[in-house]
Amino acid sequence: MAESNNEERLNASKSGEIPRIGVYVCHCGTNIAGSVDVKKIVEYASTLPNVVVAKDYRYLCSDPGQAIIKQDVKEFKLNRVVIAACTPTLHELTFSKCVEEVGLNRYLLTIANIREQCSWVHMHRIDEATEKAIEIVRMAVARASLLEPLKVRKVPIRKSCLIIGGGISGIQAALDLAGEGFDVYLVEKNPSIGGHMARFDKTFPTMDCSLCILSPKMADVGHNPKIELLTNSEVIDIKGYVGNFKATILKKPRYVTKDCSACGECSKVCPETAPNEFDEGLSTRHAIYIPFPQAVPSTYVIDRELCLNKEAIVCDKCMKACERKAIDFTMKPETVELEVGTIIVATGHETFDPSELEEYGYKKYANVVTGPEFERILSPTGPTEGKVVRPSDKKVPKRVAFIQCVGSRDEKTNPYCSRVCCMYATKQALLIKEKIPDAEVLIFYIDMRAFGKGYEEFYKRAQKEGIRYIRGRVAEISEDAKSKNLTVRAEDTLLGVAVEAEVDLVILSVGLVPRIETSMLSTILNLSKGSDGFLREAHPKLRPVDSLVDGVFLAGTVQGPKDIPDSVAQASAAAQKASILMSVGEAEVEAISAEINSDLCSRCLICLHICPFNALIYSEGKVEVLEALCKGCGACAAACPSKAIKMKNFTNEQILAELKGVLLGLSTGV
Amino acid sequence: MTEEKEYVPPVIKAEELDPKFKYKMSKEHGAEKVMVCFQCGTCTADCPIARFSEFYRPRRIARMVQLGLKDRLLLDGALWLCSSCFTCVDHCPQGVEIAGIVRVLRNMTVEDKNLLPLVYKELATNLMKTGFVYEIPDSRLQKRVEQGLPPLPKPNMKDVLKIFEVTGSARLLEKVQTIAKVESK
Repeated sequence: MAESNNEERLNASKSGEIPRIGVYVCHCGTNIAGSVDVKKIVEYASTLPNVVVAKDYRYLCSDPGQAIIKQDVKEFKLNRVVIAACTPTLHELTFSKCVEEVGLNRYLLTIANIREQCSWVHMHRIDEATEKAIEIVRMAVARASLLEPLKVRKVPIRKSCLIIGGGISGIQAALDLAGEGFDVYLVEKNPSIGGHMARFDKTFPTMDCSLCILSPKMADVGHNPKIELLTNSEVIDIKGYVGNFKATILKKPRYVTKDCSACGECSKVCPETAPNEFDEGLSTRHAIYIPFPQAVPSTYVIDRELCLNKEAIVCDKCMKACERKAIDFTMKPETVELEVGTIIVATGHETFDPSELEEYGYKKYANVVTGPEFERILSPTGPTEGKVVRPSDKKVPKRVAFIQCVGSRDEKTNPYCSRVCCMYATKQALLIKEKIPDAEVLIFYIDMRAFGKGYEEFYKRAQKEGIRYIRGRVAEISEDAKSKNLTVRAEDTLLGVAVEAEVDLVILSVGLVPRIETSMLSTILNLSKGSDGFLREAHPKLRPVDSLVDGVFLAGTVQGPKDIPDSVAQASAAAQKASILMSVGEAEVEAISAEINSDLCSRCLICLHICPFNALIYSEGKVEVLEALCKGCGACAAACPSKAIKMKNFTNEQILAELKGVLLGLSTGV
Repeated sequence: MTEEKEYVPPVIKAEELDPKFKYKMSKEHGAEKVMVCFQCGTCTADCPIARFSEFYRPRRIARMVQLGLKDRLLLDGALWLCSSCFTCVDHCPQGVEIAGIVRVLRNMTVEDKNLLPLVYKELATNLMKTGFVYEIPDSRLQKRVEQGLPPLPKPNMKDVLKIFEVTGSARLLEKVQTIAKVESK
């Protein structure tokens, strides 16, 4: 719509004309009409003051339904529209556009939710439900009379994106956006990108070598001129709003410059060692190290807490060994300020730590390992160079048991299904069979979930190769002190018989849990978390990669457990969503915001402290609203002791009118 | 039980399944979560009784409640084997309290079927008579004295009997039929 046109409409509506209201009641098939008497609502609504016309229709959201409304607006010269239908989150936009097409400001429309808040929750009680629906409509009509037109605001969007997290999701999103020509900042906490996927040996169900498919993408990120890679870095603060975020990044020093050729001579002479995180602590690394050979950037890094050179240089072995003189102990942490238009959060997950489950004896029994640890044992770049041996005596295990749902589907740990463990255990079982053909492999499961493309076939293949699946959750593991063999106890629930199996090695298929850092990030960005601790998407089906904050998108396991294909798909989707915003170059922001009457304001500043979005500022003796930040939540208006804050579209007068609408029922008995 | 055993056909007919039984059970204290049991078998694998019993399977009890096999359950001696050690309750990943379910079903058996294993009746009778579940022979009491142990506390029989009266247990015990041997069908 043209700006001037909008302006005109605003002025026209402000001229204090008498409200002419149209009320439209939707049947929504039987969703509404099945539980409330629609005709009765219409009959009642037409008796209300200022209502010029009231109608019902089977599906108001359909084109013919909208046509009726448009026709009436013109014919009856309506200047307010009340739709009694489903929740405004579903169709408010549909009807806003509908009334805008016939020249009505979208804020002169109000939705009475008689489905989610009435018909659905009062099924089979038609009389009471109808009575309630009538009251809801009466409230909406009372409010409609006092509605004022508002101007939809637009903000420009910077054509750059901050991606937090350099795992497969962050990498995919970065490459997609860079490919579309946007500037990308990819921030990774660790010294190299690659995330969990870099640690995997093979990927299910195709059995591709994980690094073989990942490292080309990692290298692309490293070489792409549109991507600025910030490794060893953390986001410490983000301010601003959609289109204009200001992020503060803490860049920790590597103590090795870009001149490093990754020859590795430094590491050979370093006297200090510590458990290697990349190998899940199953091997050691030096204080100067590179996480793995394919690391991006291919630059060594010094773990200064481990290094002997804390305050002063007392050991210079690495410096002497470095031909390129790339080691620089004078490097300091820096903070970098970035201005970006959009943000993609791809900070991923951690794996569940089974130490708390005493019955499985992890960390107590040497031969009980987790799935991620076993992944490193399987990997040719791992601590055993891919040779499958058990930790206690480095012997090749002949009998192996997998225990599923460790830290998943358990009310005491995590109630959700982690979605990847069924398939990763199957993959690892197949790899054992490949390396040790005469090994006997048991998988104890509660339910097998082979939901993805090719997964059922993969499960079948494992069964054909002789992997034995036993339906029963393992209750307990015990260890033979001498042989260090383990006995697992479960019920074969299909037979109803208890099973005891003595095995050489037990692998706990641990689930996925949210990272601690995700919590911090959700606070910085005002993102919403689910009860499981993963970040919440705006809508589970229709907006799966949007967060509830405009301009911030979610990709990968930060939003919930998922496998690589789903993470990659979600990352591309998040990139696309960010791209849409940046391509358009401007975004509509909510017109419903706070407005301050400076004459009434006593400058107590309660509102500043109460605003969860930092949308209020005090400058030059006045409180001001940063409209792009204001979400219209109303907290400030409710808190203001001087009633100096007006919430547009939810003014005190409008809310009181609604209340009167309800209370009227008490006095008249309608 | 003196009467002849009723023949139970091996096929479960759909009409035998009482769809309301699980809801009824869910309203009972201790059995609230029976519907979320996903049959993983942790309870059975952990159960010290199941280890030595041919037919006691805690998981099976939860399943039968879910299916609504009320009569089969109440007439199944398996109910009476639980020792109430609560290992199943501790380890259940879904928070289902099998031992609680068993308690509810036992109460239901006495109430609805008027049946109780003989040994339980004896324990209850002892309690009403002496205040202890086991009748303690004089020789044992003598031994306590010899070993220098303090005398056993004196039970307040008035209160014990009152509890039996108020809860209706005394009345139930009077008319209940006893099962001599606990068996599963």
